[in-house]
Amino acid sequence: MNVRETEIQLFHLTKRFGDFIAVNNVNIEIHHGEFFSLLGPSGCGKTTTLRMIAGLEEPSDGQIFLAGEDVTYKPAYLRNVNTVFQDYALFPHMTVEENIYFPLKMKKINRSRAQPMIEEALTLVNMTGFGKRLPQKLSGGQRQRIALARSLVNRPRALLLDEPLGALDFKLRIAMQKVLKDIQKNVDITFIYVTHDQTEAITMSDRICVMREGIIHQIATPDEIYNSPASPFVASFIGDMNFLDGQVIDQQGDTIITNVEGYQITSSRLMGTFSVGDSVVTCVRPEKICLVKVCGNEFMNKFENHFQSSIHRIVFRGNDYEITLIFGQSEIRLIESASDFNDKKIGEQLFIGFRKEDVTTYLKECKKVCDYETNLN
Amino acid sequence: MNNTSSFQRKKRSFPFLGVYGALVYIYLYFPLLVVFVYSLNSSRSTMKFEEVTFDWYAKLFQNKELLTSLLHSIQVSGLAVLFAMVVGTLGALFLNRVDFRGKGLFRTLAMLPIILPGIIVGLSLLIFFLNLKLQLSMWTVIFGHMSFTTPVVMFQVLARLARLSRNLENAAMDLGANPLQAFIYVTFPMIKRAVIGGALLAFTMSFDEIIITYFLTSTYNTLPIYLYGMLRFGLSPEVYAISTVVLGFSILLIILMARYTGSGEEKITMS
Amino acid sequence: MKPTSTDNLKPKWRGFSSTHSKIRIGVPIIAWLFLLIIIPICIMLVTSFYVKVGSVVIKKISLANYLEFFRNSIYLPIFFRTLLLALMVSLTSILLGYPLAYLVSRKVKRFRNQLYMLVIVPLWVSYLVRIVAWRTILGRVGVLNTILLSIKIIDKPLSIFIYSPFAVYVALIYIALPFVFISIFNSLEKIPENLLDASSDLGANSINTFRYVILPLSMPGVISGFTLAFVIALGDYIIPQQLGGLNGMMFGNLIVTQFGYAYNWPLGAALGFIMFTVAVIILLISQKFGSSEGFLE
Repeated sequence: MNVRETEIQLFHLTKRFGDFIAVNNVNIEIHHGEFFSLLGPSGCGKTTTLRMIAGLEEPSDGQIFLAGEDVTYKPAYLRNVNTVFQDYALFPHMTVEENIYFPLKMKKINRSRAQPMIEEALTLVNMTGFGKRLPQKLSGGQRQRIALARSLVNRPRALLLDEPLGALDFKLRIAMQKVLKDIQKNVDITFIYVTHDQTEAITMSDRICVMREGIIHQIATPDEIYNSPASPFVASFIGDMNFLDGQVIDQQGDTIITNVEGYQITSSRLMGTFSVGDSVVTCVRPEKICLVKVCGNEFMNKFENHFQSSIHRIVFRGNDYEITLIFGQSEIRLIESASDFNDKKIGEQLFIGFRKEDVTTYLKECKKVCDYETNLN
Repeated sequence: MNNTSSFQRKKRSFPFLGVYGALVYIYLYFPLLVVFVYSLNSSRSTMKFEEVTFDWYAKLFQNKELLTSLLHSIQVSGLAVLFAMVVGTLGALFLNRVDFRGKGLFRTLAMLPIILPGIIVGLSLLIFFLNLKLQLSMWTVIFGHMSFTTPVVMFQVLARLARLSRNLENAAMDLGANPLQAFIYVTFPMIKRAVIGGALLAFTMSFDEIIITYFLTSTYNTLPIYLYGMLRFGLSPEVYAISTVVLGFSILLIILMARYTGSGEEKITMS
Repeated sequence: MKPTSTDNLKPKWRGFSSTHSKIRIGVPIIAWLFLLIIIPICIMLVTSFYVKVGSVVIKKISLANYLEFFRNSIYLPIFFRTLLLALMVSLTSILLGYPLAYLVSRKVKRFRNQLYMLVIVPLWVSYLVRIVAWRTILGRVGVLNTILLSIKIIDKPLSIFIYSPFAVYVALIYIALPFVFISIFNSLEKIPENLLDASSDLGANSINTFRYVILPLSMPGVISGFTLAFVIALGDYIIPQQLGGLNGMMFGNLIVTQFGYAYNWPLGAALGFIMFTVAVIILLISQKFGSSEGFLE
């Protein structure tokens, strides 16, 4: 099976609710067998997009292709994709077995032929023996697994999951994340996963699509999203980030020098084309900043950006410390592991350094929306 | 921290509230008791009580007119409720699924037959039917009853639907059920109780209904009409006997209703 | 793979969210609404503008019936008497019903459901049966007189109980009380327990908690119950007929005679429309200030 075979395509998909544009000209191509996440804050349109793929919401504009077939106007019950809902949506008046049998029943498979398939589905989610129970008698995690089994028993081409782990407590959620990944690999089904939890998306996905206010900001692998966020929004949404305003004072090839709070910062990760005088947003991740007491030559060579500063705030986080330093009129945060901390105090004068490759610069008016071309690769 | 817990608050109750409550209950039940007692009186007078007898009840079974009117009541209420179950359920689905301006107005209008005095409903329908040149008969009575049985069922089902997760029907369709199948296999089983509960309630209301019926009938009698006619001639043991039977039947229906809709309602609000 | 250009004509969406299928579901109820509610009321309104001259109904628009309502020497007084009685019945029902609802809702631990049901049961007992009962109790040879005679408070049976506004009043309260009870009970039940804890915590004793927390929050139920009782009392004509006598005649009786002996339908429709207007006004007030759910539990 060609791994790059296209499973799902969305072309200029748009959904309007009256004057409100929930999904705005979304273009996505998802490959077979991929674990693809739609990530974004509440109201960004990710669930609406998912529902349109499922056939539960009618697009205002655009097209949806499943395995090459235009299904834009096909109702949900004729599409070969299944959904795992956030509230599981198990039928309370049916037993677990009857719930799982339901999609097979709709395909006119009689009960005796279906029984082994039902058993297989239960085994897949590790719930053998629960067949005769009623959903109300199950715990949250158990219901979630039955919902999963029910959606998978038909072997759909793709599984759509709408924040399925949202209602579970932390430990259970971590455990279920592993279960989902295992099942996905076992069954070789495309997963489209909607979540607002960036950690979840980063750990589980092959690719992530970051959305905000109906617009896609970036579609890329977790690594790319983390290290090369395409817009300040993506940079802020994933992981922690320092944001500093400044102005371009020099530009040399793939590097620019920015005046930030009176300091000069060199950046080689450029998101856009810059000219001298442009207003920009300079970003650097806290964990990429190094803190030393003495600034030697080796330090200065390694980190093109090095400055002296004093500690403003120290927050103990168990595993590490978050140290805030004064940076001109602004602040800059960094992370230091507990073992390296060594009793630093507020007001202490220290040196910080970070490489130009770790500084991402965006144009101030960056409302970066991904190009059609760059995403279909 | 304030020491007064809710538990203690309850204990410091006004003792005469209990006495008052008892008095109200007596007020509510004494009349019914009276009716029952007098139905057993062998004397026709309401001033004296002779001996306990069930004769009056026995006589009821020989009262052809009474039995016919009873049959008519069952026919009318049965048909009106059947209509209400179908149209009311469809109406509830409609109101639950479709959003449109003026939905509040729609709901208010639909509730009018229950809330407005029976006179208004009765006379407006009477004028309407006669303008349509319809003869007053069993059917006009049934139409009149349809006006209030329908909203009773509809609002019960609507309340039930409101508590149902929308995703259940979505899930059914997502898994391959077309809209009709989704309704039959998923939605309907879950609103069944509300439909039947509403039907029982509507049946009780319809069985007892007199004002609208009176407007819309000429010679066709339902049980309340018959009883009302008897009242014109004054009170009599027969009246008490009929009344007690109706009383007993009502209580039976209530118990049935309570059993069916109250207990045994599974926790449908699950996710 | 780029798609071919979309068709100009979008095919009909066959999903469940299709407006077409949803509207089809609505057809029966909309038809019902028009045929049994909207059209009849409109026709009633139109008929109220016709005039009956002799034995012929003249189908020309005229305000004669409404003018008659205002000019006639008995219509207006009876109308106001009816309003007054309805007001008194409602107020009394609230006064009687509130403590009862409070008792069952807040003060009773065991048998709560049973006590609730006990108030509801009379509601479902036949309306006529209840009238029979009151006629028996209040009548000249009725229970009340019998008791009073036997304990020698009076030496002759009194006829003041029956065939008087008082009898109508008592019987109407009997009918309205369960409705009022349900309404107030429901609104009391909806008050979250933690509000009372908070009130107590902030220093309010029972009386103040009742006055400043419970009473205001139960007001929607009180208003709903009031309007329910009012409309019941407003439109009833059987109780006045059975128990009211001449002095107990109410507006409903006036209307009914227009469809009976007096046989003046346009006038009846006009009077009916006046009653309808009063009822609608009351109901609108209830919708605005009363509790949102109906009493159809």
